[in-house]
Amino acid sequence: MTLTDDAFDFVATLVRQRSAIQLERGKEYLVESRLAPLARTAGATDVDSYVRALRHDVTKHDLVVEALTTNETSWFRDANPFSVLHATVVPDLVGRGRRDVRIWSAACSSGQEPYSIAMTFSEHFPALRPQIIATDLSELMLDRGRAGEYTQLEINRGLPAPMLVKYFEREGATFQITPSIRNQVQFRHHNLLEPAPPGGPFDIVFLRNVLIYFDVATKRDVLRRVRMSMAPDGYLFLGAAETTIGVDETWERIQIGSTSIYRPREGKTR
Amino acid sequence: MKALVIDDSRVMRKIVGGILVDAGFEVVEAANGQEALDQMTLNDDITLCCIDWNMPVMSGFEFVVEVRKHAQWRDVTLMMVTTEGEQGQIVRALAAGAHEYVIKPFTPEVILDKLQFLGLVEVKETV
Amino acid sequence: MTSHGSWEPLSGMDPVMTIAQDLFATMIDGEPGHLSPWMGDTPVLDDPRYAWVDVDGPVVTRVMLMAGRATGENLTRALLAMEADEPVSDADFADAVGEIANVVGGNVKSLVTNPGALSLPVVGRDEPDNSSAMRIMATYFGWKGAPLGVSLWALT
Repeated sequence: MTLTDDAFDFVATLVRQRSAIQLERGKEYLVESRLAPLARTAGATDVDSYVRALRHDVTKHDLVVEALTTNETSWFRDANPFSVLHATVVPDLVGRGRRDVRIWSAACSSGQEPYSIAMTFSEHFPALRPQIIATDLSELMLDRGRAGEYTQLEINRGLPAPMLVKYFEREGATFQITPSIRNQVQFRHHNLLEPAPPGGPFDIVFLRNVLIYFDVATKRDVLRRVRMSMAPDGYLFLGAAETTIGVDETWERIQIGSTSIYRPREGKTR
Repeated sequence: MKALVIDDSRVMRKIVGGILVDAGFEVVEAANGQEALDQMTLNDDITLCCIDWNMPVMSGFEFVVEVRKHAQWRDVTLMMVTTEGEQGQIVRALAAGAHEYVIKPFTPEVILDKLQFLGLVEVKETV
Repeated sequence: MTSHGSWEPLSGMDPVMTIAQDLFATMIDGEPGHLSPWMGDTPVLDDPRYAWVDVDGPVVTRVMLMAGRATGENLTRALLAMEADEPVSDADFADAVGEIANVVGGNVKSLVTNPGALSLPVVGRDEPDNSSAMRIMATYFGWKGAPLGVSLWALT
């Protein structure tokens, strides 16, 4: 660990300003490991000296913010939410007369989540045409999502082998997602601190593992905007360790096994 | 829950076995497909096999083919853990009856993710 | 690539580097950043050891790992979660270093067109008989300050 408190504070401030993501004390290891590849490419002796050098080089700040605002991604992350999606949520929406299902995958990173949603539909509701909007802060990640090309390490994470052979083609060192899945997802730049993207009202929103980085006031703001972008009978999925309880009382929580899903509470708009 | 780890490399058996023990499994080992069949006969409570492909005496692929001939082992989850990474090999293994496929190298999370999807473990979320 | 090999490296990237770095990051070091390209002249290995696998096919491709004995021992310790100065038996050494060759070789095999079977790893003090082999490439790395290398050969 080379990062000094000074350097860590600088990085945390930079990231906070650009993205509202909070890097608290205790996340030094994360900063160190995420910046190590950048430091190496830049020829710095270590991460601390890399950070010191870039304090005065604004052109490098984007890279740093991007390196720190991407989450560890896997396919079908946590597994259970995707079961709830096909076993409960979509049947309910179909039962209410939906033929088109509009889905927003927020903070989609390199695309594993929106594509996992698309594969879930393909497996269980092949007759439905979901419209999936996938958004992220990072242009780098959006480009990756659009390309739909993944390394072996990425493909190993959470992707059931039967889906690997059905929906991917190996091309040299990487795996390419099949056009029929790729074409179901539209990738768009979006900052959660701004109004919701076009494509709504959304029947389903995935907002997983991004609220954790925000302070409470920002969480409320983001949840409010999300709620306004949703159909009143729509569903919100959060990360496994996240909840609206204690943050925003305008949501109703439904527990299905170990998974919680959230719906806008009737009559509550603020 | 009992798992059978099949690999001719002791290093790999230790690594995979360690991951499974941490996930709550009791682990037995075999160094090739034939030894693995012996273990399956000796232990009637094996629910998961993690199987290397290339081994002396009997390969992991041949082990899968053999296991799938036996009705009493119908509910055992068969997960390949191998360097064989071509699409054709993955298709072959699944067609022969393997349920899952991990390409080496892997992290513990890779195996845990797949066990979670199969419903064999419940993983606690950590940030 | 040249006509003798069915080995097709990807343009703009060293696939062996990526394979080795992924292996070290996931299974040996537990995090990326410890295996880097070797800087400087081709290193001389102290008490060298060799581990290789052969990929069958129209042309047999040999993937060979080269490291000094001490480095091989440290790799074994890392893989078996042993203490820093715990003695390493010959059996464990061969197993660990052979498995590294197996994983690197297997991943290289996935990049070769029409690959055949992957042989079991062989580990030895001496280089294998490469007299009828053409070396396709060799890459050297630094791991915790020590050199190690991977070479690819086409056996005719």
